[in-house]
Amino acid sequence: MTERTSIDVEQFLPHAPARVWRALTDPQRLARWLMPNDFRAEVGHRFTFTTHPRDGFDGTVHCEVLQIDPERLMRWSWKGGNLDSTLTWTLAAEGHGTRLFLLHEGFDPDDPLQQKALKIMGGGWRSHILRALEAELQASA
Amino acid sequence: MAIAHPARREVLRLLREDGPRPVVQLAEHFDMSRPSLSEHLKLLKDAGLVSERKVGRQRLYSLEPDRLQEFSDWLAPYERFWQTRLTGLAELLEAEDDD
Repeated sequence: MTERTSIDVEQFLPHAPARVWRALTDPQRLARWLMPNDFRAEVGHRFTFTTHPRDGFDGTVHCEVLQIDPERLMRWSWKGGNLDSTLTWTLAAEGHGTRLFLLHEGFDPDDPLQQKALKIMGGGWRSHILRALEAELQASA
Repeated sequence: MAIAHPARREVLRLLREDGPRPVVQLAEHFDMSRPSLSEHLKLLKDAGLVSERKVGRQRLYSLEPDRLQEFSDWLAPYERFWQTRLTGLAELLEAEDDD
């Protein structure tokens, strides 16, 4: 099995891109659906998201606005715990609504610290046991 | 963790190789009491890795391959995180509409 290094998620929202953009760029609104933050929609602005600390993660995600194309695209760096990654939000008008795409890139499956971070997030399946299971299932396929 | 026990891995392997099986037939492969096996099956069921359905008087267990795939996908927790957040975003926008 090839391991992924990025995540793609999308969501259709029955609201115009301007509304969706506001929910993505207004710090109060961002706080309500994502995390408390000191975001400003300016390229080069450094900001943080804060959440509850966990073992191996101090609860702070350090970000920087890398790119902004209003109501169309926004890119942030996203560094927290052992993760050094990038988020790209893309908005596409669709009918009376907006399709919102999120691309989260920069995962490294060979980084033991990232594996540990994932374990803390509630995973733990990428263990030796699972490898053994996969090998076993593949061998018996 | 659901697949951390050799017996549970063996159950998954049997279901994969032989298809859906009633618990009686699964039990033949194990040197353990039926209640112990049932406990393992329950854990696998709770984890969504197997499903159970009643056929006549028997309970048939089947493998849920999609879930197994998800389990083995190391980015699944992040994906779930974002899916949950985007659902939250949809709810926020909807709530604003009602204001």
